[in-house]
Amino acid sequence: MLLGIALAGPARAQAPQPADAPAGAVQADDAGREDASTVTLRSAQVLTLPAPTPAPPADGVYAPVSLPDDWTLASTPGLQAVWYRLEFERPVAAGDGPLAAYVPRVCFNLELHLNGVLLHRGGRMTEPVTRNCYHAQLVALPASLLREGVNRLDLQVVGFPLPRVAARQRAGGLSEVLVGPQELLREAYESALFWNVTVPQAIAATLLLIGFVMIGLSWVRRLRYLLYFGLASAGWALLGVRLWWRDIPLPHGSLELLTAAAFVPVAVCALLFVLRYCDVRRRALDVLLWGQCLAMPAALWLAGPERLFVAASSVYAILAVEVALAVGFYLVHAWRHRRAEFWFMGFISLCGAVAVAIEVAVQGQLVPLESVHVMHFALPVLFVALGFRLVQRFAQALDAAESARQQLEHRVREISADIERNFAHLAEIRVEQVAEKERKRIAADLHDDLGAKLLTIVHTSTDERISTLAREALEEMRLSVRGIAGKPVQLTDALADWRAEVVSRLGEAGVEVDWQSSDPEAPRTLPARSYVQTTRVLREATSNLIKHSGATRAIYQCSVGDDFRLVIRDNGRGIPLELDGKLDRGHGMASMKARAKQMQGQCLVESGPGYGTVIRLTLPL
Amino acid sequence: MTRILLLEDLPEIRVWLKALALQVFPDAQITEAARVHDARQQISAQRFDLALIDLGLPDGSGVDVVSALREQQPEAQSVVVTIHDDDDHLFPALQAGAFGYLLKEQSREQLGEQLRRISAGEPPLSPSIARRVIQYFAAQAKNHFREAEPLMPGVTLTERENEVLLRVAKGFTLPEIGVQLNLSRHTIADYVKQIYRKLNVSSRAEAALEAQRLGLFRRN
Repeated sequence: MLLGIALAGPARAQAPQPADAPAGAVQADDAGREDASTVTLRSAQVLTLPAPTPAPPADGVYAPVSLPDDWTLASTPGLQAVWYRLEFERPVAAGDGPLAAYVPRVCFNLELHLNGVLLHRGGRMTEPVTRNCYHAQLVALPASLLREGVNRLDLQVVGFPLPRVAARQRAGGLSEVLVGPQELLREAYESALFWNVTVPQAIAATLLLIGFVMIGLSWVRRLRYLLYFGLASAGWALLGVRLWWRDIPLPHGSLELLTAAAFVPVAVCALLFVLRYCDVRRRALDVLLWGQCLAMPAALWLAGPERLFVAASSVYAILAVEVALAVGFYLVHAWRHRRAEFWFMGFISLCGAVAVAIEVAVQGQLVPLESVHVMHFALPVLFVALGFRLVQRFAQALDAAESARQQLEHRVREISADIERNFAHLAEIRVEQVAEKERKRIAADLHDDLGAKLLTIVHTSTDERISTLAREALEEMRLSVRGIAGKPVQLTDALADWRAEVVSRLGEAGVEVDWQSSDPEAPRTLPARSYVQTTRVLREATSNLIKHSGATRAIYQCSVGDDFRLVIRDNGRGIPLELDGKLDRGHGMASMKARAKQMQGQCLVESGPGYGTVIRLTLPL
Repeated sequence: MTRILLLEDLPEIRVWLKALALQVFPDAQITEAARVHDARQQISAQRFDLALIDLGLPDGSGVDVVSALREQQPEAQSVVVTIHDDDDHLFPALQAGAFGYLLKEQSREQLGEQLRRISAGEPPLSPSIARRVIQYFAAQAKNHFREAEPLMPGVTLTERENEVLLRVAKGFTLPEIGVQLNLSRHTIADYVKQIYRKLNVSSRAEAALEAQRLGLFRRN
């Protein structure tokens, strides 16, 4: 697309040759003007000189030529000067208003003499010559110099023939000349100036702005494709300088070479933009593309000034083909990966391709030249559309990034909460482990020190009471250790242990036992402390039963529901009441109750002389 | 004459245990040891019929002595005498080949009775030990099932042995189980002995297998 502009800009095609016009005739241009106030001069006498002269040479031999006259053949190596002699009669219908001569196209520069008097010079006539190729010329013809009848216009045109320029519209030449009322021609002149100079300037400014914005964006967001787009856009804007800067202080040869060469990096940037946009990143390819920036100018230089036009055309053609390939590749890529973008970008590419095709046709003189060039305006518009699309995509990406960032933040918050939880959990586990280790150490110490001493007392004391107390203390200690170090106990296991102990103890004591227990429906555990305390209560109760009740039969009932319930009944003589109405403390009832209370449970004792004893232990689970 | 090895580090308890042993076996010849090291030496030096072994010793665990005795004098009976009544302490000793255990804090009469029963071939079996044994054999069976290895002959429990174990684990006493299964006291005792024996054999086989796995036994 860019290349289309590149081709279109410099190679603005020539107006088609008009039908043969009678030489030297003065006639109204019926096709262009509806009235006869303007005459269009299409034939002239021409004299070619190797260098400009201040006045038309008196002794020159003129040859007839029809206008527009394009300098297609190379002649002298330097600046060429051509004198055109045109004759006209004052248009009858022009009225009395001031007249003017309008030259739609002259390249590079012209000098205008009316009836031998120098009226106008478009700028410098010697190297570096003023370049008026894109600027039409309007010259007022003072009434005092006009004669009745035939007037003579001498135009000296300086320029370079086609083979020595890089683009067709900078080839030397003169278009038809119009003579008519000044105000009428001024309109045409200003319109031409507007379309050929002002609009390209505005476009260049816009593209430059877009380019800088893109370069800035790419710098901020590290998006290479935006950088290349920005460079191409800004580069194209700078190339537009040739359209309106007339007095570039460089010799013609260097300037033409430079202009043609300047298209190469712009096209390379455009190519790289397309490739990066497709996420293609090949070092070798990049090197090859950038290599063109050296190779192509070198080729232009080697071709020499005589073949500059052919060489430049080839360079443009190669670049055009490269860009077309890249765009084709992009469209395939878009069709596969970014279907939504395909239609928009496809449309833009199609428009670009059409513009280039029209331009090629115009250049090859297959279709007549229009006054306003499609190429000139279509491609920058497409450029802007593309820029808009990029900005839009960028904004979308920004949106996506923003929402991704929010999601990420959300995730981070979640994860940190998780980590905190886990950390707390780990800390708990650690504390648990340390506590476990400490408990084991304490348990071992108790066994080794206290246990051994109590054991010694148990087995060496001659006093039965003391050794019994020591034994009980030892049992207590073991239970305590178990309570400290113990893991939760399965309720079924606890029930089994208790049953085995109670049944064997009562069996040895000759008491008939009925142990009734129902296994819990689901596996349940008892904290080690509860297990130990319950064991103590059970032992205490059983000991009491054996020692004091005189019972011959005992019933132990265990049930597990929301609570754990243990009911012990015997058929003994019961526990006598103390005077204060409380049950005998010596039977350990108080300690049993205290233990139950420690476990948030309760222990009820019902007893009366002759009624036996019922102990009800209830513990929450 | 019964030759007894007595391993106990506390002198008072040792004296007392010696008295207990003499009470049960009046003509016993008792060799005393206070450390694992001494006990090992004695085992290498002479033959014993019975060994009373404390578990927590200054230079190691009595379990090692149980293993050594099982290895060197398989016909000797090891009885663990300990203050620890929990299966965590007792089970390894039983795996190592102990034939029974005595809890130190019991009265002299009770201990004497227990020892007599053990030497007569009626070892005790508490619910918590029974549960450990059940777990152990269940894990063995599972391993074999997983590794598709044939179970070692003679180390699987019979149905009856299992039955006895399960009932003990539920809290029934051996006499009660005898009544429930309509078996004599001796038969029940035989089952318990078989359970201990199989536990030991299986544990040893397992240890050997484990050693092989770790590459301790290499074929030259």
